Amino acid sequence: MTRSLFVQAIVFGVLTGGVYALMASGLSLYFGVMRIVQIAHPAFLFLGAYLTYSLHNALGWDPLLTLPITVPAFFLIGVAVQRLLLARLRDENRAMMSVLLTFSIAVVVEGTLSAIYTGSYRSINLDYASKSFELFGARVPYDRLIGLAVAGLTLLALFSILKYTRYGRALRATMQHRDAARLVGVDTERVTAVGFGIGLATAAVGGAVLSIITTFFPSGHWEWIAKLMAIIVVGGLGSVGGAALAALVLGVTEAVVQVWLSPVWAGMVFYLFLFLTLIFRPQGFFGGRLAQRF
Amino acid sequence: MPFAPRLTTDRRRLRRWAIGTGVLIGALPVAGLTAATTVPDDAGEPIRIGVSLPLTGDFSEPGEGIQQGYDLWAADVNAAGGILGRPVELIYRDDASDVNKVVSDYEQLISVEDVDFVFGPFSSRLVIPASEVAEDEQMVFLEPAGAAPEVFERGLEFLFYAAPAVADEHYDYLADYLTALPEGERPETVAVASMDDPFAQGTAYGLRDQLAEAGIEVVADEVYPPGTTDYSNIAAKIADTDADVFVGGTQFEDAVGLLRAFEELGYRPPYMAFSTGPTLPEFTEAVGDARNGILSPVGWSQEATFESNPEFVASFQETFDTDPHEDAANGYTVGQVLNQAVEAVGCADSSEECQTSVRDFIRDNEFVTVVGPLSFDEAGRPEQAHMIQQWIDGEVEIVLPAGSDVQTAELITRD
Repeated sequence: MTRSLFVQAIVFGVLTGGVYALMASGLSLYFGVMRIVQIAHPAFLFLGAYLTYSLHNALGWDPLLTLPITVPAFFLIGVAVQRLLLARLRDENRAMMSVLLTFSIAVVVEGTLSAIYTGSYRSINLDYASKSFELFGARVPYDRLIGLAVAGLTLLALFSILKYTRYGRALRATMQHRDAARLVGVDTERVTAVGFGIGLATAAVGGAVLSIITTFFPSGHWEWIAKLMAIIVVGGLGSVGGAALAALVLGVTEAVVQVWLSPVWAGMVFYLFLFLTLIFRPQGFFGGRLAQRF
Repeated sequence: MPFAPRLTTDRRRLRRWAIGTGVLIGALPVAGLTAATTVPDDAGEPIRIGVSLPLTGDFSEPGEGIQQGYDLWAADVNAAGGILGRPVELIYRDDASDVNKVVSDYEQLISVEDVDFVFGPFSSRLVIPASEVAEDEQMVFLEPAGAAPEVFERGLEFLFYAAPAVADEHYDYLADYLTALPEGERPETVAVASMDDPFAQGTAYGLRDQLAEAGIEVVADEVYPPGTTDYSNIAAKIADTDADVFVGGTQFEDAVGLLRAFEELGYRPPYMAFSTGPTLPEFTEAVGDARNGILSPVGWSQEATFESNPEFVASFQETFDTDPHEDAANGYTVGQVLNQAVEAVGCADSSEECQTSVRDFIRDNEFVTVVGPLSFDEAGRPEQAHMIQQWIDGEVEIVLPAGSDVQTAELITRD
């Protein structure tokens, strides 16, 4: 492996890791507020990509300009899905049943996309999509850099909401101890619904980024769920910051293994990290004491 | 009055008994007569053909394409009076692109539905397990999309691939062209990246091996799993070699992912060949101008003037209101071969006798199809060749074989 190829792999790894971070942040949030596994998250990412595609084609807007429409829409869908479906699961078997329920939601989303858009591959080809500039002897594509920037800004916004707003405090209190939060007057039902809405809203942003950097088809979302689940476990379930860090580490490791060994081995990186985490540090490497406590 | 209903009932019972006995007695000699003569008792009954296709899942797009070809063929045959005077009926199962489901589908179609014939699914990955079922049941297995070398290396006797050439021969014309170039123009290095898929690898390795044999150095040879979501690092590794020829053993996503990443990396070798992806209508939307100069093998062309092809194109356009594609043409071809074989042999049922005679006829004869005249070797491999297409100025041109009727432009190098 030449030095320039190594640098290139690191650059691509960071760019990809940033996108992974954005996509995994919602998953981590769902688990944090509800202790549920949201299998349908990547399906919603793809729904987001398709909506972006439709708006882009119908109105000629840049994919990122569609966010003011798709983000609120996804927030509302998220609140509705939580209130109407997930909130009805019983506490004692919620984690298990949520897998079944969200799996079926994923199938419904996929089926709807197939019915409307057919099974064809869709993609958005922008003027800047295939352009790039040079940095330390590596090529940095604009579309991927934009993806990373959007991911960074979204995560920053999410982090600020959780850390500095009154709602964020209520949300964190709900995540840490639901009953105690209720005792001090937090409307935990509402906070949970809004938290779920925010999680799904990140899928709208992730979908827009996805639509810029890759082609998509209705059943493509199954390729993502395993990677994203591995990321949030390594990062520490319920920790948005931990998920972001884990995403970067895994993204870069995947890229280096891809050029150093082979793409076949690169697919194992996620599972290897998952196993190591479960064996040595089941609460996750980068934060979140949640998994241990609950 | 209270007795009236009862009387009627009794009388009815009597009559029914009498009729029943009469029919039974009368039927005996008739049944003996039918067995003794060769008048087919199923005249007018539809010929039922069982198909399992990947209508959902990874292969749903080509699966539906094949289905359009099968449906159109059945409609055209039925409009022309059927086969042996019998209409054709297709019975579909959706295997969801799943290798286990495809096996149970064919087992069910053959043993429960008792179909007269079966047609194959899409892609080598599904054709390989499905064809084993048909072989066990001694059913002719004509298939539209199982071109990988492994398909023909299992000693099957009932399998036939109804397209012009098997995977590792798809690039034969391009290999001949590149190796025949004069010193100086001739490429010196080749890089290969292929999906871990028997068909995709078959195409790419066919070209790789022919180039390597001619002394062109293989400087990169990558394999990636299906379902890879990011191709930039694979592309970076290829671009790092700066090979003169790139060969992609691709489906669609990976062709687009690799080509986009090559553009971003500024890697533009003189010759770039991708399987499948560039022949699909979505390719332009996905890669824009980057498609110029891209080479692909293609088994069927809308412009080709082979007997029955112009009629197929017109019929497809009228039925589906859009231009036909290679998958539909391959499905249609399967139907055409069966049609001609059954008409010649004169039987259409699932008996071993009939299936064997249809099989022998297919193996020994040449068929008129939309992809050109078709014949098969002992293992069911087709014996013809694929054309090579190239995107030139936003149009698909047939560039090889040079000097043939189908050629529409000269092969160009990329910038």
